[in-house]
Amino acid sequence: MSEPKKAIGQSINRVDGLLKVTGAATYATDYKLKNTAHAIIFKSTIAAGKITGIDTSEAEKAPGVLAVITHKNAPKLNEKGGIRGGAFLQSNIIEFHGQHIGMVVAETFEQARYATRLVKVSYEKAEPKVDFEKHQKEAVLPKNNMDAVRGDVETAFRDAEYKIEAVYETPIEHHHPMETHSTIAFWEGDKVTLYNGSQIVNGAQGAAASTLGIKPENVRIVTPFIGGGFGSKGGQWANLVLAAVAAKAVNRPVKLALTRQQMFNSVGLRQRNHQKMRLAATKDGKLTVLAHETTTHCAINNEFVEPCGDCSKVMYEVPNSLISYKVVPMNIILPTYTRGPGKSTGSFALESAMDELAYQLKMDPIEFRLKNEPAKDPSNGKPWSSRTTVQCLQEGAKAFGWEKRKIEPRQNKQGEYLIGYGVACGTYPARQQNSSAIVKLIRKGTEVKATIELAASDLGTGSNTIIAQTASDALGLPINKITVKIGDSDLPPAAGSVGSVGAASFSNAVNDACIKITDELIAKSGKQFFVRPTAATMMLTEKLTEFETRVDAKAPADAGNYSSHSFNANFAEVWVNSMTGMVKVPRFLAVTGAGKILNPKTARSQIIGGNVWGIGMALTEESVLDPRWGNFVTRSLAEYHVPSNLDIGTIETIFIDEKDTIPNKLGVKGIGEVGIVGVAAAVANAIFNATGKRVRDLPITPDKLL
Amino acid sequence: MRPFKYSVTSNVNSATKMLTANPNAKFLAGGTNILDLMKEDVERPDELVDITQLSLTLIKPITEGMNKGGVSIGGLGKNTGTANHPLIRQSFPLLTQAILAGASAQIRNMATNGGNLNQRTRCPYFYEVSMPCNKREPGTGCGALEGINRMHAVFGWSENCVAVHPSDMCVALAALDAVVKVQGANGQIRSVPFADYHRLPGDTPQKDNNLNQGELITSIEIPKNNFAPKSYYLKVRDRASYAFALVSVAAAIEMNANQIIQARVAMGGVAHKPWRAFEAEKFLAGKEATEANFRQAAEIEMKQAKPLEHNKFKIELGTRAIVLALTKAMNGGKAS
Ligand SMILES: Cc1cc2nc3c(=O)[nH]c(=O)nc-3n(C[C@H](O)[C@H](O)[C@H](O)COP(=O)(O)OP(=O)(O)OC[C@H]3O[C@@H](n4cnc5c(N)ncnc54)[C@H](O)[C@@H]3O)c2cc1C
Ligand code: SF4
Repeated sequence: MSEPKKAIGQSINRVDGLLKVTGAATYATDYKLKNTAHAIIFKSTIAAGKITGIDTSEAEKAPGVLAVITHKNAPKLNEKGGIRGGAFLQSNIIEFHGQHIGMVVAETFEQARYATRLVKVSYEKAEPKVDFEKHQKEAVLPKNNMDAVRGDVETAFRDAEYKIEAVYETPIEHHHPMETHSTIAFWEGDKVTLYNGSQIVNGAQGAAASTLGIKPENVRIVTPFIGGGFGSKGGQWANLVLAAVAAKAVNRPVKLALTRQQMFNSVGLRQRNHQKMRLAATKDGKLTVLAHETTTHCAINNEFVEPCGDCSKVMYEVPNSLISYKVVPMNIILPTYTRGPGKSTGSFALESAMDELAYQLKMDPIEFRLKNEPAKDPSNGKPWSSRTTVQCLQEGAKAFGWEKRKIEPRQNKQGEYLIGYGVACGTYPARQQNSSAIVKLIRKGTEVKATIELAASDLGTGSNTIIAQTASDALGLPINKITVKIGDSDLPPAAGSVGSVGAASFSNAVNDACIKITDELIAKSGKQFFVRPTAATMMLTEKLTEFETRVDAKAPADAGNYSSHSFNANFAEVWVNSMTGMVKVPRFLAVTGAGKILNPKTARSQIIGGNVWGIGMALTEESVLDPRWGNFVTRSLAEYHVPSNLDIGTIETIFIDEKDTIPNKLGVKGIGEVGIVGVAAAVANAIFNATGKRVRDLPITPDKLL
Repeated sequence: MRPFKYSVTSNVNSATKMLTANPNAKFLAGGTNILDLMKEDVERPDELVDITQLSLTLIKPITEGMNKGGVSIGGLGKNTGTANHPLIRQSFPLLTQAILAGASAQIRNMATNGGNLNQRTRCPYFYEVSMPCNKREPGTGCGALEGINRMHAVFGWSENCVAVHPSDMCVALAALDAVVKVQGANGQIRSVPFADYHRLPGDTPQKDNNLNQGELITSIEIPKNNFAPKSYYLKVRDRASYAFALVSVAAAIEMNANQIIQARVAMGGVAHKPWRAFEAEKFLAGKEATEANFRQAAEIEMKQAKPLEHNKFKIELGTRAIVLALTKAMNGGKAS
């Protein structure tokens, strides 16, 4: 008898694909509750100061209006309850432009939106701090100190023969998931149910409970499908609790959806980073100095700093290293986790600087990287559980045709186009986080079915599918006999879809639960087996109708003794129009070592999604503030440019075959974040190779290449 | 959006009468611009007169009058249908290219030709009602003049307004010397040369064009010309598709052996109206079609430009774009 085909590792279609393409998947606002009212938030039109008056009388009289809620009549909420950026409507203080200052609840969305225009607000304005150029010199060491020093950077840099010192700028960016942040809230007595896209189900539950001042068991979060989040639905924002406040006020279910315009100042952003890099190397290409100093901004009373130096800590062997951060509080909404937090932006600086130094050394940038490959994690001396940078670079170079690249720029021309190749590496930590899971088996006649339950989330990445695949293998059941229930805080607590921990945490918990249920079935039978039977077989032979178990899974005990990361190498080919400065990326290749790939199809989708965003980061994405008032002048997707179809050529993905069961039993490292890391630098490096022009401030729009 | 009355008519006369009777009424065509502006509280009509049922959608040869031999396109014809119509593709490929360079396929499927002419600026201060904007609210000041003005005008602006007209289609129509046919409440049709249709801001930036309240665009006439073999629409933008122009150029050339009989050059993304580069055209007439001449023509035109704080790049970009568009026009308009 041949081994049954494993589900893990197969390119299985999404188990919820049909629901999604037919519109039957229920995203947060798709739930139809009887008698639902609609809330629309309204926002401050100054960036700093106080509300001195707020006249809601006209709005209250408008057709369909049920309630107008402002700081004057909002219930007291716990501002430190874990809602990112605060719950709002608690005082008259304004700390950024577009801060929530109230909401209208009405019978229809349109009526609510109209009535928000009738609210009259007067302000006492203060001088806002919104101009980063001006205020960055006031930046100080963050309270959460992440600085790291090794060796003597200053002396080594001073004495180095080959070195570069340069500043790399990345602009404010926004997540802009397709699904704007939206919540339906309804109360039954003391209990509130919140339909809300939440990357961390239990986190949302805790934050809502503590902010509303009720017990966690009185909050239920329902989030089976999420229309993207990219970090903006990791921590929860005020919409989650304000929907509950509105529902209580009108004693009806309330639907609160942010408009696209409101997304610019409601749910965080990736802040602007000013990264000063100093790199030095010996003549034969050994790095001697790597200093990465980041200056950035955070909210007035709330600190968040993206760890831009993270890649610089682990990527290369270097005796003298400095990672440092400075931050200035400004009247701009709280920054937050954004895909590849710190790594995507930090790798732009590091990997551009590596390219600059390689060029100075007249050395191939791949060769330069290979010369500085660290045998163990340089930041903490721990051994790697596995590291694939070398394979990613070497296999990528072969697949991409890297040997055709010329070290000197402007050598490859076609008509008015200049063609260039660029490479850049990336990394992201691999971790398993605590997750519990229940597996339930049911037999009817000769048919055995399983239900898997855990409060995991699926951002659109495919969590549902990989959970079903894991259970299929571990139970010995075909995938269509498995029902996956996630996205509900009533289910056993689980990790979130954040920081690339989701797949590892969910699949290992489910795998453990399935092993455990098999063990229990065997024990219950009291029989001895030469070949271990599957749980499915045991249900049949023991004639059981129902059986269930639960595990609370943890990372392997010794995982912390190793340094575990996903790694990649990105290759870009660009065509720069030498007349207009417009850039095309006809070809992009990402080679990734991310441990066991549970489903190559959904994994590829995640990688190319990260690549597209990285290309956007390189070429098009930027949120622009007016430094006088602190408002965003990019205020819709017509001005905030994500790449269009025509901007993206062919993207190829290669996964390195890798077996590393140190971080977790299944050897899953996670791919959500690493796909964007290194991408912008690969594109910028290719643009240098094409044009000889080094652009150090993103995005590289046509005007910067004239 | 604010509450409004919705009216619909299939008769041109009654449409213009309804708008003349109510100065706060507006026409609703494809709705891709007016509805967005109403949702944002920028446009506040108390009545929308739906004109999508008017039978003004045809594209046909002009058989009489001063534009005889040309083509008439209906005011309510869709942008997509217009771009792809065989008469347009054959005789005025410049217009096809320009329309297809704009917006997205979905928007072009909804958008009408009249609506395209009358679409409003994309200036972000115009869109944000809490910001000063003389176009939206005369007398409040211009938010962009000393604000973020990378996308704004370099030609013909005033202290009152530095906005640009966002259309691509109109840039080609300007180059092609189109004529806008409008009908007022009195039933009379008047002809407005394209160059006189849109306005510079002066001290009335609230007025984008010279249409009077109640007047309806019934058709746009394009006179016969000999540019089809040598024309090109170049759009430089921040992404490859679905972005407004940083600078665009509609170029068309008529040659006699080595000599340029006449050249047409119009620019988008640089002024409050589609900008006809008359100085460049004047220079090119009678010259040889060389890159040096193209460059000189471009420089002569761009010398008149006055950039703002964030759009200085448009001088160099505009110069290059004119040269490249003329070069491509000479090569038969083929994109490389
Ligand atoms: C995201 C986005 C991107 C875009 N990108 C581009 C681009 O790159 N290039 C480009 O050129 N355009 C672009 N557009 C604009 C688009 O071309 C216009 O919205 C469209 O042409 C307007 O046509 P409509 O029929 O929908 O007009 P409507 O929105 O119906 O009307 C617009 C205005 O014209 C008036 N009007 C309509 N028809 C007539 C008529 N027959 N007579 C008199 N007045 C009339 C209306 O009263 C209204 O004031 C974009 C639009 C969007 C939303
Ligand atoms: S440029 Fe014109 S549209 Fe823009 S703010 Fe100034 S007046 Fe308003």
